[in-house]
Amino acid sequence: MNTTPDEATLALWLDDELAGADHASVEAWALTRPEQLAAREGVRRWRATIASAIPASEEPSYPDFFNSRVLQAIREPAPAATPQARSFSWKSWLMPMAACAGMALTFWAGTKATTTPEYDVAGAPKAIPVEPVVYTPENGVDAEWFASKEASATVIVLNGVAAIPDATDFSETVYLPANREIDSTAGIELEPVTEPGQ
Amino acid sequence: MNKPIDETSKVAQEPVGSVDPEAIMNDPDDDLRLVALAQKGDTRAYDELVTRHRGRIFAMIRNMIHQEADAWDLSQEVFIKAWRALLKFEAKAKFSTWLYRIAHNTVYDWARKRRIESAGEFNDEIFERERIDSASFTTPSGGESPDATMANGELRLKIQIALGKLSPDHREVVILKDVQGLSYKEIAEAMSSSLGTVMSRLFYARQKLQALLKDEYDSR
Repeated sequence: MNTTPDEATLALWLDDELAGADHASVEAWALTRPEQLAAREGVRRWRATIASAIPASEEPSYPDFFNSRVLQAIREPAPAATPQARSFSWKSWLMPMAACAGMALTFWAGTKATTTPEYDVAGAPKAIPVEPVVYTPENGVDAEWFASKEASATVIVLNGVAAIPDATDFSETVYLPANREIDSTAGIELEPVTEPGQ
Repeated sequence: MNKPIDETSKVAQEPVGSVDPEAIMNDPDDDLRLVALAQKGDTRAYDELVTRHRGRIFAMIRNMIHQEADAWDLSQEVFIKAWRALLKFEAKAKFSTWLYRIAHNTVYDWARKRRIESAGEFNDEIFERERIDSASFTTPSGGESPDATMANGELRLKIQIALGKLSPDHREVVILKDVQGLSYKEIAEAMSSSLGTVMSRLFYARQKLQALLKDEYDSR
């Protein structure tokens, strides 16, 4: 038989996956077609190149530990296949209601409270003993903590911190949005630039 | 409880094990005998199966994602998933092909999760060549001269970089065919694709790889 094989059969022949009568048939057809024989040689050479460079099997690191982890996992109970039916309980409706009631009560109490600020110079912030001690990671640096309830402020003063050099690049320590995100022209369709005379 | 759990059926109402005894007799790899034992809850038999197949599954996943630590974890996941689905395995395909299919799904699930978690920021890096640990590819595999080892290590690195430039589907089909040595039919089963799709992907993937490795390939 010397009929032209279909593409799938030819692909199988090129990769040496044909056997028996199918193989004999395509072999007979290919005998007079050196380009097909060359193509098959090319595929064989390619497979040999890949196989010589990349191993089909590689032991994972710590193979015994690998097995023991698998065995440990399969001895544990498997997760439930289907989620359990959702049950309605008093919690499902009482808890949101209680939360709403709490928020309403807080809001009402806020409207009733007197909020007249009283700033008394005599009662300016005073140093208070720091307990527990404020931790400073650098030797020679002391921390003092000033707090004022009236001013609703807390100030921590660090004594002994070295001056920060002007060359310090803070951009590496902060998040800067990508150019596209801060591009004020985003969303504006730009007209293509055309050369004069075009 | 050691028995594998069939999540889709009521275990208590079905016979344990679904491998045909005749298939066990005709299995040249002797995997199916171990599978039948494992289906009855024999964890030692399953341990033997893990030992037999972990190298190929790990190599396949590592070649796909180029990260050893993640490949290690994902390979474990493959064997844990396989155990949990073991009662579904009916030996219609080779056990190794079935494992490759689970590995395929595991890798793609992992990549999908990574995309979601990173909100698309690192899409291109999930399978990227920059993650290739070049030092690991020059590790001697034994049985060859130092020159050959170095040459193969360099070639491997070049092939891995070229593989990294392929799409995941094209890369996988090359790995399964040219590295793992699966047949077209087995690859179609592992990737849940048609035979024609596999043939087409392999054709274009090889063409692109050969173009990327032209100098290396022509010199051999």
